[in-house]
Parts: sequence; C-alpha cells; structure tokens
Amino acid sequence: MNRLTDKLEELKKRNQKALVAYLVAGDPDIDSTLEIMHMFVKSGVDIIEVGVPFTDPIAEGPIIQRAHDRAINKQISLEDVFELIKKFRSQDEETPIVLMGYLNSFIFYKDLIEKNQNNSVDSILVVDIPGELDIADYGIKNENINTISLISPTTKNDRIKLIANNSTGFIYYVTLRGVTGSSNLDVDEIKKNIREIKKYAKVPTLAGFGIKSPDDAKALSSCADGVIIGSSIVKMIEESSSTKEFDKIGSYIADIKNAIT
Amino acid sequence: MSSKINNLPDSDGFFGQYGGKFVPETLMYALEQLEDTYKKLKDNNDFKDQFYKDLSEFVGRPSPLYFAERLTKHYGSGSIWLKREDLNHTGAHKINNTIGQILLAKHMGKKRIIAETGAGQHGVATATVAARLGLECHIYMGAEDVQRQSLNVYRIKLLGAQVHSVDSGSATLKDALNEALRDWVTNVDDTYYIIGSVTGPHPYPMIVRDFNSVVGEELIDQSKKLFNAMPDAIVACVGGGSNAMGVFYPFIDMNQTRLIGVEAGGEGIETGEHAAPLNDGEPGVLHGALSYLMQDDKGQVKETKSVSAGLDYPGVGPEHSWLKDSGRAEYVAVSDEDALRAFHEVSEYEGIIPALETAHAFAYLDKLMKEFDSDSNIVVNVSGRGDKDINTVAEIDGIKF
Repeated sequence: MNRLTDKLEELKKRNQKALVAYLVAGDPDIDSTLEIMHMFVKSGVDIIEVGVPFTDPIAEGPIIQRAHDRAINKQISLEDVFELIKKFRSQDEETPIVLMGYLNSFIFYKDLIEKNQNNSVDSILVVDIPGELDIADYGIKNENINTISLISPTTKNDRIKLIANNSTGFIYYVTLRGVTGSSNLDVDEIKKNIREIKKYAKVPTLAGFGIKSPDDAKALSSCADGVIIGSSIVKMIEESSSTKEFDKIGSYIADIKNAIT
Repeated sequence: MSSKINNLPDSDGFFGQYGGKFVPETLMYALEQLEDTYKKLKDNNDFKDQFYKDLSEFVGRPSPLYFAERLTKHYGSGSIWLKREDLNHTGAHKINNTIGQILLAKHMGKKRIIAETGAGQHGVATATVAARLGLECHIYMGAEDVQRQSLNVYRIKLLGAQVHSVDSGSATLKDALNEALRDWVTNVDDTYYIIGSVTGPHPYPMIVRDFNSVVGEELIDQSKKLFNAMPDAIVACVGGGSNAMGVFYPFIDMNQTRLIGVEAGGEGIETGEHAAPLNDGEPGVLHGALSYLMQDDKGQVKETKSVSAGLDYPGVGPEHSWLKDSGRAEYVAVSDEDALRAFHEVSEYEGIIPALETAHAFAYLDKLMKEFDSDSNIVVNVSGRGDKDINTVAEIDGIKF
C-alpha cells in the first residue's frame, strides 16, 4: 500500500485529473515550506512534490535554481527534508509526497531513504538518471517507495516501452525540450506523445515542465492523467519570500484545479 | 589486470564503479546518437585520415619531445623531457579533442556548437574549429573565469563565437558546465556539445580520451627515438584530467612507467581550500558521471579554490578515479604557492612560460626527482602555454600594466 498509488487509483475511479504541486524544501525557510504544503492541500492539490536542494540542479531553469540556492543558504539537507515531512505527517497522513532531486543527494543519504521512518515518503523522482532506472539500481533499497520515471519529447519508442514497463508511481512526461519553467508548449506534439506512452504505460501519465496558466493545464489535462506545476509556484514563493504572505498561491492553485476539473 | 583496464569503459560507460550516464532523460537519445556515430567512425579510414590530416596541417602535430637541459641540471638526477602540447595551434592540448569532436558534429549534421570552458583554452579551441567549419558557436564560462582569463575571452570573440558569462553558484567551470548542459537540454535537436575534458556522461570520457591519446602515442615513438626506452615516469596536471588521460592511456599496459597526476592543492590540502578530489574527495555524482567529488557533510558539491582556472573544478574524469583505485596511477597535489614558484622557475630555466595548470605538474618535480637516479627519463606533459595567465600572475606579483 502506497499513498501515491492509492491516490492515483482513486482519482481514476472518479474520472478526475491529478494536480501535483512542486516546491523546494527550505525555500525560503522550512517553516514556510510546511505552511505552503498544508495550503497546497487546502487549495486542491492531490500530490506534493518536494524538491531536495542541490548545488548543481542541471535540469532546472533560473526560477527553481534560485530556490535551490535559497534553501542551500539555509543549509537544508535531505535529513532536514525528512524532518519537514515528519512534521507535515503529524497533521496530514493522506497526501502523497514525492521527493524530486538529484542522485548525489539520494546516494549520500542512502540510509535515510532505506529507513523512511513511518513510510512518510511515497515516491522518489531522480532527475539525473535514465528513465528506465530507479534508486534500486544505485543500491538504495526500499520497496515501499515507488519510482517516477521521466519520458521526454526526445525519447524514442523503444525507450518509451522500456521506461513505461518499469515505472511504478506515475510517468512524468516532460512536455518540452528544456529546463523547468521554459515556455513554448507544443500541445499537439504533447498529445501525440502522451497517446503513444499510454499504449504501454501501466501507471498514469502526468505532464509537467512549462505549464503556467489554467489554460495550459486545461489543454494538457485533456490527454494527460494530471498536471505538475512547479516554476509558477516557486516564482510566487520567491516574490513573497520577505513578506511570507503566500495566500495568492492558494488562489492560483484553485484556478488551476478548476481548469482541470 | 592491465589489459582489462585498457578495455574500459564497459558498454554502459563504466570504468569499474565509476562513470556511467547520469543525465536527464531528454539527453539520453542525444548520447545514444553520439555513441553510435563515434563507434561507426572511429575505425573508419576516411575519418581517421581526416583527423590526422587536420592534426598535422592545422594543429602542427606531432608536438616535439624536448630535452629540458637546464631543469635536468637543476635537479641533478634523471633527464627531464617536455612533451610540448603548448606548441599546438591555440596553445594547449585542448585542440586535439575539438578537432575530433567537430568532425563528429559535422557528420551528425549539427548546426550549432556549444562548450564550457574554465581557463578559456577549451573555449578557444572550440571556437577555432567551429570557425573553420562556419558553425554557430556558444561558449559558457563562469563569471569569475571571464574576469581572470580576459585574454582568452577576447580570443573566443575574435573567432566569432559568443561568450555567455555564468553568474550562478561559484561562477567557475562547474557552473559553466551546468549552464552548457541546460542549453543542450533545450536545443538538443540541432546542437552538438563539445565537452572539453574526460568528464561528463558516457560516451564523452571515452571520446575525449581517445582523441587526446595522440599525445601518448607520439610519446611512445619519440621516447624510443630519443632515449631508446619508455619513460620511467610521466607527470601531468589533472583538473578534469584530459591532458593526463591522453598521455597516460597508451601507457596503461606498460607497468614500468609510473603515471603521476598532479591536482590543484590551492591553499593546501589540509585547509580544505583546494580543487583536489582524488586526494581529498569521495565518490559522488556530478555532471553525468560517478567519480571522486569534493562534497561537504550534506552531500552538496563544494566550492573549489585554485589559482589556475583550468583546474578549479570539484570533480574529475571517472577513468582517473578508476586508475587511482586500481593503483595504476598516483595522484598528488601541489599548492598555489608551489605552482607559482614553478611557473617562474620554468620560464627562467627553459625559456618556456607554462600555463598555470601545467606549472602544477612542474612543481611536483621538486619531490619526484629525488626518487630517480641519473639514468632515468621523466616526461612532463606541458599541457599549455602561459600567455593567458600573465594578468593573473602579474597581479599576484603586484605588477600593474
């Protein structure tokens, strides 16, 4: 039993699309992250993706890079991320949590992941490994944590089959060639590729990278099983990092939720 | 053991436990394409002819093996020989690799070339070969390196390439690589990324090594001709490690030749302020490969310190990590202070102003030459010339132009 798998099945039964929201742990500080995570849930987020700060986040655009920098300035490590999630779980036992980060952090804190106290983390997405591999391939064993694999517009059919076969959480379809927060979504290409992925996928396919407006979200939810919103949220967190008034993020998320419902 | 070492990397790109392909999925197809192209071309006679023709006519190879008479006398033990990569067109070994990779890019029909650079030598070497083929070229360089290597920045611009100054992180080579990877993810369809060292995801460490191996291959012939034996030791500086790998590789099976890599000791290994992952790092993943890496107690990549921009990098090519663990090569470190001393010394003794990177290899002779008698032959790989470092050294010496 895994919160993420259960949630995705439940949404499918109800014929609803999943809304995944991303933030970086410790941006601008751990207390704010905890507050925003709870606000996510209240505003209609189904799954939370927590970014693990890393010095060299090669797949991120400038907005999320700056968030990693802010968190690193606060010395946030994967150990602190587990503490954060423990606190979150004391109030929220239901919402699935995905850790998204770079392999070096996960290898460095292998023991923490293998332990995963109280099964607080449901899934891990490692950005810098090929889609068909998961943490177990790098010696990190935990059967209760499932794997989210990336498929991109450049992934050819033979690899799509391979990756689709190995994913246990959901397939994260990267909607564009580029880093997080880029523009220029080609909705027709995305739809075509997601249809191809769905021929082989055993788990739902969600779309992320470059989704900004409720209209983007709506367009993609017609083919994907859900959408992932990252940079737009992180930008709002950045804009409110001194006032710490994060309310408008809640209304933004509610708008996205409406658009895909 | 040795012959097995020589066959690496394996089909997944590993040298022992090191190497691999740790990249976002978007780049997987591009890496597969590159590997397929390289496999197809590397033994193709037309390709090889073109590569060696360009090295001969455009780069000026072979580079001489030169007897350093006064340095030899100075140390009073073995003979010191200099493999003169500083005499190559553009002034460093970096051109060997770019000559090869631009041929791959051309064959793959890529219209746009990108590269990262630290000291600027790889940026110059890339801009040079791109200009020669009339290809659009973008060079990523850390903002701090743009400052300290202003001469090379201007050379790159003269060659028609665009220089992108990178402000993120430590604003040095590591961050330039991050930015180049981001460019590649974005423009992967029409862009060829010429990585400048034996670093990055498979197949780059293999490709860059193979193209640079011309240095070691020439050295075998020249050693026979000039002193009728194989060198007793080869000394080369190691940042990412391409000049060292190129000169070491053909010697891996020859156990009588000691292979010695010299890392940047910065303020001294004991201070932690250095760029010497093989001396003071742990295995970790950065820029697509598992290798020795300088990281802190939270698994974050540490900022490095070296007077030499080309060595100022927290990681190292995976094959060096393997050569270290297997014991085939030795890796030592030399401080900024000692490297600067050697920079002056070699200039005055031999009439050769070496690159600050290369000065690290020279500085190690102080210790090394005590281990050899007068019958021995020691080769220093002079990876590049020091013109680009004049401003840095002058500033340290308190000289204003």
